Amino acid sequence: MTQRTTGQRFRQRKLSTKQNLQIIHEKDLEPLGDDDATRHIPKVETGVEKGEEIEHHLQAVISAAQAASQGGGKIAQLYIPTPEAVASKLQYEDLYPRRFTQPSTYIRFSSTVEDTVGCPYCMTSEDAAWLKAYNQKRGKAPHCSEDEFEYVINFFEQTTQEKQPYAEVDTAPVLAYEELESAFDETIPESARRFAKDIYVHWKAERERNLNKPLMPTLKFERNLDTDDADPYVCFRRREVRMQRKTRGRDAQVTEKLKKLRKELEEARFIMAQVKRREVMIREQLALDKTIFQQRREITETKRRLSIKGDDEELLINQKPAPKPKPRVDTSALQRGIPGMGPKPQVTRPDGRLVDSDLVYLDDQLAKKSEAIDGFIEENLMKHQKWNVGWVDATWRPITPPMEQPAAKSDFRRVFTESQLPTPPASVSSEEAGDAMMIERAKQPEPRRSTRIRFGSPPADQPYKDQSRYRRRTGRGGRVMIDRRGVKRPRLDDEPIDERVADRWKYAGDSSEDEQIYPVDWTDNLHIRYRIMIERQGEKQHAQHQAAAAAAAAQNRRAIESHQRSASGHLLPPTNRGQ
Amino acid sequence: MAPRENSHEPSGTPVPVEIGFATLAQLRVGVKAFVDKDGEKRKAEILMIQTRRGEPKFYVHYEEFNKRLDEWVNAERIDLTREVEWPAPEKPDKKKSSSAKNDKASKADQRNLKRSRSKLDRELSIASETSSNNVPGKAARPTKASGKENQELLVTTEITDGTTPKPEDEEMDLVDVQDAAAAAKAVPDQAYSREDEIEKLRTSGSMTQNQTEIARVRNIEKIQMGRHEIEPWYFSPYPIDFVDVDMVYICEFCLGYYGDVTQFERHRSKCTLLHPPGNEIYRDDYVSFFEIDGRRQRTWCRNLCLLSKLFLDHKTLYYDVDPFLFYCMCTRDEHGCHLVGYFSKEKESAEGYNVACILTLPQYQRKGFGKLLIDFSYLLSKREGKLGSPEKPLSDLGLLGYRAYWQEIIVDLLMDGRAEANIEDLGAQSAMTTNDVLHTLQNLNMLRYSKNGHVVVLTNAVMETRDRQKAKEKIKGKRSIDPERLQWKPPVFSAASRTWNW
Repeated sequence: MTQRTTGQRFRQRKLSTKQNLQIIHEKDLEPLGDDDATRHIPKVETGVEKGEEIEHHLQAVISAAQAASQGGGKIAQLYIPTPEAVASKLQYEDLYPRRFTQPSTYIRFSSTVEDTVGCPYCMTSEDAAWLKAYNQKRGKAPHCSEDEFEYVINFFEQTTQEKQPYAEVDTAPVLAYEELESAFDETIPESARRFAKDIYVHWKAERERNLNKPLMPTLKFERNLDTDDADPYVCFRRREVRMQRKTRGRDAQVTEKLKKLRKELEEARFIMAQVKRREVMIREQLALDKTIFQQRREITETKRRLSIKGDDEELLINQKPAPKPKPRVDTSALQRGIPGMGPKPQVTRPDGRLVDSDLVYLDDQLAKKSEAIDGFIEENLMKHQKWNVGWVDATWRPITPPMEQPAAKSDFRRVFTESQLPTPPASVSSEEAGDAMMIERAKQPEPRRSTRIRFGSPPADQPYKDQSRYRRRTGRGGRVMIDRRGVKRPRLDDEPIDERVADRWKYAGDSSEDEQIYPVDWTDNLHIRYRIMIERQGEKQHAQHQAAAAAAAAQNRRAIESHQRSASGHLLPPTNRGQ
Repeated sequence: MAPRENSHEPSGTPVPVEIGFATLAQLRVGVKAFVDKDGEKRKAEILMIQTRRGEPKFYVHYEEFNKRLDEWVNAERIDLTREVEWPAPEKPDKKKSSSAKNDKASKADQRNLKRSRSKLDRELSIASETSSNNVPGKAARPTKASGKENQELLVTTEITDGTTPKPEDEEMDLVDVQDAAAAAKAVPDQAYSREDEIEKLRTSGSMTQNQTEIARVRNIEKIQMGRHEIEPWYFSPYPIDFVDVDMVYICEFCLGYYGDVTQFERHRSKCTLLHPPGNEIYRDDYVSFFEIDGRRQRTWCRNLCLLSKLFLDHKTLYYDVDPFLFYCMCTRDEHGCHLVGYFSKEKESAEGYNVACILTLPQYQRKGFGKLLIDFSYLLSKREGKLGSPEKPLSDLGLLGYRAYWQEIIVDLLMDGRAEANIEDLGAQSAMTTNDVLHTLQNLNMLRYSKNGHVVVLTNAVMETRDRQKAKEKIKGKRSIDPERLQWKPPVFSAASRTWNW
């Protein structure tokens, strides 16, 4: 902005602030056009208010400087007169003791004034006089110190501020002592409280004299009164307009997060508190147990000493039979062993039973249960067999046919047709491609990891695709059926597919229904070339990246896979039908 | 205020001034009479009259003297053998407060024109937005102002038409006026400039243009601080209770204020602060600088502002200290770090100011501290990689201080043996704005037109001054800021802190 203004101002004279200007000494300056130049120089604003710029003393100094800069010779130093500052009569050394030692590093400090000034109320001379008289009156009774006095007054002041925030506006009466006393808290030291009642009398008098306004002079802040704006004493207003802006979504989000965080922290704190409570209770309980135990021992000792014979059980067992076993925590704590306790109480409970017998393990329970079930089944089976003795069960098989073993590959036999390649292609399917790569990596100790890189779409029995296989089996009623696999539908080049023909081939494949199979002729020239290309590419890349890390290899594989994905015809069938 | 206004009006006052002789009893607020000032009779305006111990006392402002020389005078010092100027009587058209306000608007606008252009642009745009709200025809109403001002008021007018009587009431409360005419005259002033001012304060630093916003009469008699007793220069909104107090005691370290010496002594026995409550960012064997965040140290910074308001006429305490950082310069001894001066700086200045308010406490003035403060403010700007300039308006002392600093820096740069100088480069090297460089060169009559074009002339006067300065430095030792000793990174404030009031 400044540039723009200066630019405007000097445009006609073509002074550029970016242009280099020659520096010359005055003596070298040719006296030509000086008059003209000074006329052209516009006055730059001083930045002083116009009303003040004309002030006498400033003008005097400026014109003196002006005269000097025009070469008017030496001119006496002029000052703008200011009201005086004189040495104070107060004893500086007393007020400001020498207690500052400078640290070797730069000071870092964050305490506020409130932190460092102590009790905010400071005694006035009237207070001091009153206190002196008061202490004299007390004679030998403990005297009230100045600090205590200030604490009490400060407490009165602050409590009043809280309870009557508008005391000076609505002229409320000074608070009663009882009301103040009921609010006593830790801000008022114990030692000071005994003087509170007496000090209250003085404080009330002072307060009433001051129209129930705070005793310490306070600044005037805004009170949302109409007169606020015009009152020069009202200062340090909030910049409320800034606050009024709409809360953005982000801010709300942040607030929500903070709320949640707070809630969670509080929950955690609560849990910790509860845990602590529990542990304390456990400790108490253990202490009690120990006391009981010791007292019982003492009783037995006593009985033994006094040779009282009787039922020890009465003494050793809790009179009330415990309806519930003791909580586990107790026993586990016992098991851990408590220092000072003998080995005996660790193993037995007060009632003499072994502690362990008490414990029920889940494993045991489960084993017991399964044993019972097995036994039941076994038993029923035996019963059933016994019941069936002498009978031939002819119904059993037809009702529940034996699980048919999944068609074993060995059942199928290969059939060579002329459409078949002499050697199976290496990279038709992804699996085989993976294998091809594995061949190169075969020397590595790691076993095949083809499963890791296999992607979902091609079924595991993909190789059947290109080799027609058949199987004969006998069905119910002696029917003979021939299952076929990997048989391709004959190519129907130009004519549309007959519905009946299509139907005949409908269930020829093993693939699931939702898998769509595109008929592809793998012997096709295009495909062969394509496969060769992929093969070579793979080899080339492998040669290049032989030493590369596994990550790089994985990337290669991925690249090839994506090639093959299209090559396999599942996702991107190469269309060459019109060849 | 209004009479001052008149005296400043470059176009002169179109209102004829009523002149006549007066008796002591006839003197009232707003009257301008000749008052004896240091053996010289000067025209002065009476701002307040009080009777103390049966004697009338007059608070006067001398024309063409800075307000800091305003003072209470006895009746004897007023020369009643000469005619006095009576305050302008209430004008009939003053009842139409709207027109009065328009008149004021134009006046204020005229004042604005004298400010930097950037401000003017902004304010004009604000004004033109609001001008559509203007009641048509109002602008055409004749006022006491000249035709030129009328034209201006087409652009700048008040937004609020319905609430016009309100400011008048406020004014009556504000100033202890005995003279209705004077009050009426002051009203429009108030009305316009408050809106203008609040808008300005909200968006800008801590300087004010508006005289009426500030009480015109000094309210604190004297302050005691450290080893000194100081006479305040201007009004400061310390607690109103201090008006009746002879001396306000200010703690040198926490800057707390006490009207009672016992109270102050009690405070001193408890106060543990020994330096400004912030981080020391600079230390050499002479001074230390502390950086204080207004938001974190609200009480201390408020105390500092109250104190500095006593010596800065244009400072405003209208809004809180949160958006400012305070850089406080101290000297050190076994007692602690004594505050010598400070400057405040906006955390984010829309107009590129690197200083908002700057003050060397009066007890330390004329000792070269002001130059150190200014130098330090430019050092911070250099660290930030920005060009800086002090917020306007400058005070008279501020202007002289800055001019001296700029002169020294620019002349030093020009005398380092270079054959050519480029105004922008000079600015970049010194973190000064181009305008300030230009200002300095022109003010020193160094920018001239030779036959080949513009040249920078190292005048004999400038070089002599510099040589004298250097000779003085040799004797007294040069005090300067060593950039190596500054441990400081420009503080960064998040968007959130900006949203939530810094």
